[in-house]
Amino acid sequence: MLVNMDKDKTTHRLTVDGEMTIVNAIEIKKTFADALEGCLELEVDLSKVSEFDTAGFQLLLMLKLAAQKQNKGFRVIAHSPSTTQVLNIYNMKGEF
Amino acid sequence: MAKRIMIIDDSATLREVVKATLLKAGYEVLEAVDGKDALKKIAGQKINLIVCDVNMPNMDGITFLKEIKQQTAHKFVPIIMLTTESQETKKQEGKAAGAKAWVVKPFKPETMLAAVEKLILP
Amino acid sequence: MELESVRNTFLIEANELLVEMEKALLELEGSDDKAELINVMFRGAHTIKGSAGLIGLDRVVHFTHKVESVLERLRQNELKISEGLIGVMLNCKDHIAELVQLSCASEEELPAAIITAGDLLHDALAPYLAITPPPAPKSANATTGAPALDCGIGPYNADASVGSSSWHISLRFGRDVLRDGMDPLSFINYLKRYGEIEYLTTLYACLPDIEDMNPESCYLGFEITFRSDFTKQEIEDVFEFLRESCVIRIIPPHSAAPTYMSLIDELTEDSWRLGEILVKSGAITQRELDEALRKQQGEPEREKPCIGDILVKEGVVHREVVEAAVDKQAKLRKPASEEGKTIRVDAVKLDHLINLVGELVISSGGIRQHANMVKDSALSKSSMLMSRLVNDIREIAMKMRMVPIAATFNRFQRLVHDSSREMGKNIELVIEGGETELDRTMIEKLTDPLTHIVRNSVDHGIEPPQERLAAGKPAKGTITLDAYHDSGSIIIAISDDGRGLNAEKIWQKAIKVGMVDPDKRPPDKDLYKLIFEPGFSTAEAVTNLSGRGVGMDVVRRNIEVMRGFVQIDTVQGQSTTMLIHLPLTLSIIDGFMVGIRGAFYIIPLDMVVKCFILTEERRMMIESRGYFDFRGKVIPYIDLAGVFNTNGGARHSDNIVVVQYAGQSVAFAVDRLFGDVQVVIKTLGKVYKEVEGIAGATILGDGTVAMILDVPGIIKTVKNSTINV
Repeated sequence: MLVNMDKDKTTHRLTVDGEMTIVNAIEIKKTFADALEGCLELEVDLSKVSEFDTAGFQLLLMLKLAAQKQNKGFRVIAHSPSTTQVLNIYNMKGEF
Repeated sequence: MAKRIMIIDDSATLREVVKATLLKAGYEVLEAVDGKDALKKIAGQKINLIVCDVNMPNMDGITFLKEIKQQTAHKFVPIIMLTTESQETKKQEGKAAGAKAWVVKPFKPETMLAAVEKLILP
Repeated sequence: MELESVRNTFLIEANELLVEMEKALLELEGSDDKAELINVMFRGAHTIKGSAGLIGLDRVVHFTHKVESVLERLRQNELKISEGLIGVMLNCKDHIAELVQLSCASEEELPAAIITAGDLLHDALAPYLAITPPPAPKSANATTGAPALDCGIGPYNADASVGSSSWHISLRFGRDVLRDGMDPLSFINYLKRYGEIEYLTTLYACLPDIEDMNPESCYLGFEITFRSDFTKQEIEDVFEFLRESCVIRIIPPHSAAPTYMSLIDELTEDSWRLGEILVKSGAITQRELDEALRKQQGEPEREKPCIGDILVKEGVVHREVVEAAVDKQAKLRKPASEEGKTIRVDAVKLDHLINLVGELVISSGGIRQHANMVKDSALSKSSMLMSRLVNDIREIAMKMRMVPIAATFNRFQRLVHDSSREMGKNIELVIEGGETELDRTMIEKLTDPLTHIVRNSVDHGIEPPQERLAAGKPAKGTITLDAYHDSGSIIIAISDDGRGLNAEKIWQKAIKVGMVDPDKRPPDKDLYKLIFEPGFSTAEAVTNLSGRGVGMDVVRRNIEVMRGFVQIDTVQGQSTTMLIHLPLTLSIIDGFMVGIRGAFYIIPLDMVVKCFILTEERRMMIESRGYFDFRGKVIPYIDLAGVFNTNGGARHSDNIVVVQYAGQSVAFAVDRLFGDVQVVIKTLGKVYKEVEGIAGATILGDGTVAMILDVPGIIKTVKNSTINV
């Protein structure tokens, strides 16, 4: 798993490459928390997520809620088949 | 990408039946004859689900459970225990060790498949 | 079942006693005769405790024991009646009633709240007991096994599914499910195999802020609108592996209510409880019932909700369905109580019926005789038919009240078994004469006295094994229950091969209690009778079983109510036998009718051995010798005409009837032999009670009165007079 972060002046773009599951949940949470620091807007690219489960979904949700709380912009710019599948099951497609 | 299931049981017949059922349903299947064998075979492998007998030579199911719960790579893998009616205490032990799903032997192949499908997405 | 009917009997008995207790309690304050009222209450508690122990209702025994102890102190004047005590006692009485009711209704362990209430009452009683017991352990608050979730499922909104044809499934996942390798995703995905998810809402209100969130924990919940043709159980089984870690609520579609209602209506088994009916119809699952029951137990005693209300509130079932089940339950119960074998009819009514039937037998006999006399064949025929029918009615009427005593005797197996074990003794109960039939009303009244006597035998009669062995007896003691007819009366014998009554001990105790004048010691035989006095007990320690001294005065009272008496036969160190003599107040016997100087007499048929014609020559010989030679044995010869002082004139008896009783044969000389007849025994009034040789009377078909011979009495008199000669 790899989380790339492109830093713009105001926008941070996160790309998760690989697994986003309970197995690496603690690691991802740390990166996400870091990514939130010092930006006004957050863009997340999920197109390279190979596996996505409830733990992954919760992390994504957590990130969005935290961003909203800090009045920061939040946007998912791309999905992978596995994230789409989960968001569909949870009827949360509209949120991301 | 097909999900990978490890079946651990000392009975070749049982492994054969389960394997056939799971293959047919589109899963990838690994086999092991006991706990030790299983630990060796899953090392470095991505496993999505483990079906594990309670009573086995060399390393029994409960010991195996305890082992696997120590491995970062595999500690969150769902586990289906195979028990018999008379092994209620074993079942409780297994649950305590982290295997929350079970199938009671003897079972029909479709029962096993149902249990698997409750635990992992296709 | 057997136990069922015993419980019913106990329920009725206990309720009667409780009513009496309450009445006594309420009268207590203004009463002059407090002692008797306290006695009434004490006996009530004692009997309830005893009977409850007999059928294994340990909770009732446990609670009542302490109540009884307080009453015992009142009885012994160690405690004064106070308003406070009356209040507590009233509550205790109510609690006993509740315990009895619940214990009889179901075998299951009582709800925790009831037990707590009992403990509290015991605490309230403690100040009235001599020794303060250690504070009763407060029963642990029943904690529900459901995981503690911050955002649980709120109260059910009844409107949510009104008019809906879909299921509603609420899921709250436990924090650890992901760690256990179980992902909500796959379960929800799997659910699709059982129907169509119409709408799903993911609830994430529990998700903590980023700082506090543990990414391996699960914080989600789901509300699912689901369309499915599967049963509730099948849907619930999807979540089988989550049962212990998640909160699951499945609300059936509103449109399913009529289906459940008709399923409920089709159920046939009785004795189901509400929950069982609902589970059986598929309206709720066993898991839901268990959970609701647990919830019910957790509620405080006073506002304990009905199980149906809980289920509706939880939203697992629709109110109409519960109501249908309640109706069903009422319907199922009704026939059970109607066709129950225990119809309680006022004994007076039965007595009246049987008396009337007796009269009917007599008058129909009269009609038959008359019809034969007028030689009207049609009348004869119909009167014969009527006689037969009347006889049938009489038989049924009698049977209505006669029951074999075996069932009553058998109840004691348990008591002897349990209590002998408790006492560390080895005792066998032998039952004889179980087929002996007794008036039902008598059997009911016999239970208490028998219980007390048997308990005394277990408790004080039979010695511990070591003591028995030391006395050269087998280690195993024996208690025998026997019942037999003894012309005109029924005898219930309770014997044990224990240590027997100790006359000296009884005497000492009687002096101590102040019952007797220490200077005038009566013969032992009379001393034994003292054990029937209220408040007399020789037991050193108060045991759970007996030894409070109430037993025997209850026995005497109960037996006297039946116009019977108790006889004690005891050999110190060897045995004790209690003989309860009961009159056959109204019964039918097969008799053998004889005529003596124009009067009619009935000899119980089973005592008659043989009849002879008495020739003049033989008579001379017998009279000269004074005995009769019967089958080579010498037996006494009695001319009944002499016994009844009807020996006027030169008429001599022409026949001999040899009767046998208790191994003793006697030859009665009579005038005429009429053969066997069935007769209804009527007791003689008090005035004739002392007439010797007569046990009762009967009225014959033509209205003539015939006397029933008291064969044992006559034999006894003859024996005594022979000794005198």
